[in-house]
Amino acid sequence: MAVSESSAQNYALSDPDVRLMLQVRDGSAAAFEELMVRYQVRLVTILEHLVGRCGQAEDLAQEVFLRVYRSRERYSPEAKFSTWLFTIANNVALNARRSKSRRREVNVEPADSSGLGGAPLDQMALAASGQMPARQLDKTEMRDVVRLAVGTLNERQRLAVLLSKFEEMSYADIAEAMEMSPQAVKSLLSRARENLRVVLEPYLQRGERPTASDP
Amino acid sequence: MNDDQRKPAESSPLREQLVAYLDGELDAASSREIERRLAREPEVQQELQQLQQTWDLLDRLPQAEVNATFTRSTVEMIALAVEDDVRQLEAAPPRQQRRRRLLKAAGLLAAGACGFAAVRFCWPEPNRRLLQDLPVLEHLEAYRQTPDLEFLKRLNAEGLFSEEPSDES
Repeated sequence: MAVSESSAQNYALSDPDVRLMLQVRDGSAAAFEELMVRYQVRLVTILEHLVGRCGQAEDLAQEVFLRVYRSRERYSPEAKFSTWLFTIANNVALNARRSKSRRREVNVEPADSSGLGGAPLDQMALAASGQMPARQLDKTEMRDVVRLAVGTLNERQRLAVLLSKFEEMSYADIAEAMEMSPQAVKSLLSRARENLRVVLEPYLQRGERPTASDP
Repeated sequence: MNDDQRKPAESSPLREQLVAYLDGELDAASSREIERRLAREPEVQQELQQLQQTWDLLDRLPQAEVNATFTRSTVEMIALAVEDDVRQLEAAPPRQQRRRRLLKAAGLLAAGACGFAAVRFCWPEPNRRLLQDLPVLEHLEAYRQTPDLEFLKRLNAEGLFSEEPSDES
C-alpha cells in the first residue's frame, strides 16, 4: 500500500510504538526488546483466546515477533503499530489454521486448567446438568463460562471481538488488521455480540451455563 | 431456553446500529436517532442493556501469563534466525558473483561481436581498392606505352584488365 510521507510522519508523531519500530528499522535491538515487552502479553492473550492452546499461542507469538524483526528494513508506518502487528498476527494464525487443516489435526481442548484453558468441557456439561451441588458465581466459574461463550464464536468473530474488547481497536483498525471493510466489521461484530448475548444471557438470568454446541 | 434463541445470529440493521452505538462508532446524527428510539421503545432499551451486560462479561477473560523465559527464548530464537539469514546471505554471494561474472562475459562477447560486425560492414577496406586495381598495376608499365586512352578502354571492355593475375606474373 502506498503511503504518503506526511501520513507516515503523522503515525510517527502520534504513535510512540511506531517511533520504536523506526528505531528497530535503524538497527536498535533495545527498541525491539522494548516493543516485545510492551506487546507480548497482549499478543499471547489474543492468540491464546483465538487458538485455545497456551503453547501454540506462544509459538505463534514468537513467529509474529520474528516476522516483525525480519521486515524491519522495509518498515514504513502505514498504520498504528498495533494495527500492523495484529495484521501480522492474523496472517500467522490463518497460516497455522491452514497447515493444521492440511494435517487433518483434531483440535482437542486441554484437559487441565493451565493457561487460559479453564475447566474442561465435561465439567461444564456436568454443571449445566445441575448435578453440581450449588451454583457458585465465583470468578473461576464466570471466567470459564465466558471463555466457553467466546469459544462458540467462529474464528473471524472471535478475532474481531478480541481486538475490539482487549485492544480497543476502532472498526477501521480492525478492518485493516483483518483485511475487511469497516462495514463488514460492523456486521461481524454485531453478529458476534448477538451470539454472545444468546449464549450468556440465560446464564446471567437463570444460571444456565452454556454448552460447547451453543449458540 | 427457546431453541430459536440458540441459532447463530443474523445481522439486523437495528442491532448493528446498537452495537456501533455502544462502540462509539456512530456519527452524531445516528447516535441521536438511536437515543430517540431508546427513549421511546423499551424493547430496544432492553436489547441494548443485554448487549452491554454480556460484553462487560468479557472482562472476566484472563490475560495470558508470559514469563521471562518466553521473552528470553523469543530473543534467542530471533537471534538464531537472523544468524541463519546472515549465513545464507554470506553463502549466496559466490553464486551470485559467478552469475554476475558470466553475465558480464556474455555481455562483453556480444559487444565485441557487434563491434566487429559494425567495423566489417561499415568501415572502408583500405586494400579493397588495391585488389580491384591489381590487374592494371601489374601491367602499368605496358599501359604507359600506349598513349591512346580509347584503345585502353576498348581493351578493358574486352576483359583484359579483369583477368585473374597468374602465379607467374
